[in-house]
Amino acid sequence: MNRSRDAVAVGRDDSVLVGDEGRRTSGRSRAFVQDAARRSLWRRRLAGRAGRLACALALVVGLAPLVAELAYTTARGVRGISFGFFVHAPTPPGIPGGGISTAIVGTAQIIGLALAVAVPVGLCAALFLYERPGRLATGLRFSADVLAGVPSIVIGIFAYALVVRGLHHFSDLAASFAIAVLMVPIMIRANEEAMRTVPVDLWEAGVALGARRSRVARSVVVRSAVPGLVSGNLLAVARGVGETAPLLFTVAAPTAAMTLLIFSEGTEALPAAQETAWATAFVLLAFVLALSVTSRVVAWGLTRRAR
Amino acid sequence: MSDQLSGALRAPDPALGARQALVRRRRGSGGRVYAAARWMAAGLFAALLVSLVVVMANDASQAFGRSGIGFIWSGTWNPAANEFGAGILVVGTIVTTAVAMLLVIPVGLGAAAFLAEFAPRWLAGAFSAAVDLLAAIPSIVVGLWGLIVLSPLFARDVEPFLGAVPVVEWFFHGPAYGPSVLLASVVLAVMTLPTMVALSRTALRGVPQADREAALALGATRWQVVRKAVIPGARAGVAAAITLAIGRALGESIAVAMVIGNNPSIPHSLLAPGATLGSAIINQFAEASPGLGASSIVALAVVLLALTVAVNLGGQALLRANATRRALRGGEPR
Repeated sequence: MNRSRDAVAVGRDDSVLVGDEGRRTSGRSRAFVQDAARRSLWRRRLAGRAGRLACALALVVGLAPLVAELAYTTARGVRGISFGFFVHAPTPPGIPGGGISTAIVGTAQIIGLALAVAVPVGLCAALFLYERPGRLATGLRFSADVLAGVPSIVIGIFAYALVVRGLHHFSDLAASFAIAVLMVPIMIRANEEAMRTVPVDLWEAGVALGARRSRVARSVVVRSAVPGLVSGNLLAVARGVGETAPLLFTVAAPTAAMTLLIFSEGTEALPAAQETAWATAFVLLAFVLALSVTSRVVAWGLTRRAR
Repeated sequence: MSDQLSGALRAPDPALGARQALVRRRRGSGGRVYAAARWMAAGLFAALLVSLVVVMANDASQAFGRSGIGFIWSGTWNPAANEFGAGILVVGTIVTTAVAMLLVIPVGLGAAAFLAEFAPRWLAGAFSAAVDLLAAIPSIVVGLWGLIVLSPLFARDVEPFLGAVPVVEWFFHGPAYGPSVLLASVVLAVMTLPTMVALSRTALRGVPQADREAALALGATRWQVVRKAVIPGARAGVAAAITLAIGRALGESIAVAMVIGNNPSIPHSLLAPGATLGSAIINQFAEASPGLGASSIVALAVVLLALTVAVNLGGQALLRANATRRALRGGEPR
């Protein structure tokens, strides 16, 4: 990335603009050109300074709100955290005390069930893309890309229309369905990206040895791609845990998931409700960021071990 | 000797033969369960997509049946009078997204240029990791922050200030409530910025090194290199980053619903409360009457789906065009 500095011998501000050295020009016109060049260089250097400063400023301005948000949530959320907060059931809005145990358990159930479906489907679909490239695979990849761009709220309405109406009641099952639909395309894309690092020759060698395809998939493809697979799926989990909109239309009670609890308590004006919302937001944030960091560390660590 | 050689040349490529043998052995090599699982995963996914379209179209048919295609632009959303039209909500969605993009595109591109071109390596690495991490913040948490921290701040300081600046105040007249189209746009901008920065940084880094060196050799300053060679070279990738950010902004609902004030009427000022497709779905869902009301909610989701899919397809086409061009030019692999 910074190779330009090494590859071309230029100074820090790096521009060498040579005046007109032509022999046919008179001394006066040469002086004029050199002067113009010097002025232009000065102007361009100033523009460069300003531009670089503007870019650095853009980074600071862009990240500042997110960092401020992170800091505020942490500062305000930590106050509400106690042992009881994790093990007690929520009290009605505005009544102090109580915890978020049902929300944590609910989120875990919803995500767990969604994962039980989404992980195998995502893995098998990615293996399909890996082993059978062709028109069918292109179509599958394309539809995964399309579905990954569908807003989560639309998926929520879909889950409502299909599962909630189909079963005639709101349920965690419908929520799991929505989250699974949300996660599968992300997983397919991430898994495929991870498998792309496995050379086809390796797969062919495995099959040429007479191994079953399932065996080759397990011992060659999945095994070589494991860092990418794990980190991709962890990122998908992080997305799923943080989703709110699909749960709004599927879950029976607002205390059944962490994100819903933040929404229902946070929009109440009562101080106690807001304290619960911030503390829950802090727990959620910590969990999601931990997943995100773990995903990076896993990818990095496993890749290093594989070498 | 030469006969043997030409015979060998005419013989099929051994690797090709082996591959064909593999293909022929596919069925015989056992692992039926595995083959079935693989096909089922692919089939299940296809079924999902089909049912998404069928179920939503079916549920929305009552609303579309009543107002026809005019549902998309008819301007009244009045459940009490049984009048449903998405027009105002479509406008609200487009306005919030457009204002958010006005904020995100320059800031995001500048930040990406800094990370890709100007920052020292350690700094770029640290900030890139931070950007990826910040992209993972759940939207509900950003929404809560927008509602409880930003909203009073906007009502007290930011909005009166904007309303007092000459020329700028044309867009910012009216009382400062806090929750407003402006606040929703700012929250959207905060949420989409990491996506924008990460994707355009990748695009900028994909520009061949030779382009930079050529511009430097012509006497350009580093800033001129970035402005005249790197950013134009990454145009397609940056455009793809922008379209994906637009797609995210259009589809974001929960955070917007918390800060926009939910008033389904044409906003006359950026300080007025408004509504978007997503925020309306969230707010109207609970009180929708069965039948036409519920069907109209699903119809809103269909409109939103069409909008985002169109934008995302555009973004993907741009990405693909970019990849092809890069392959043709022999640029560096990412």
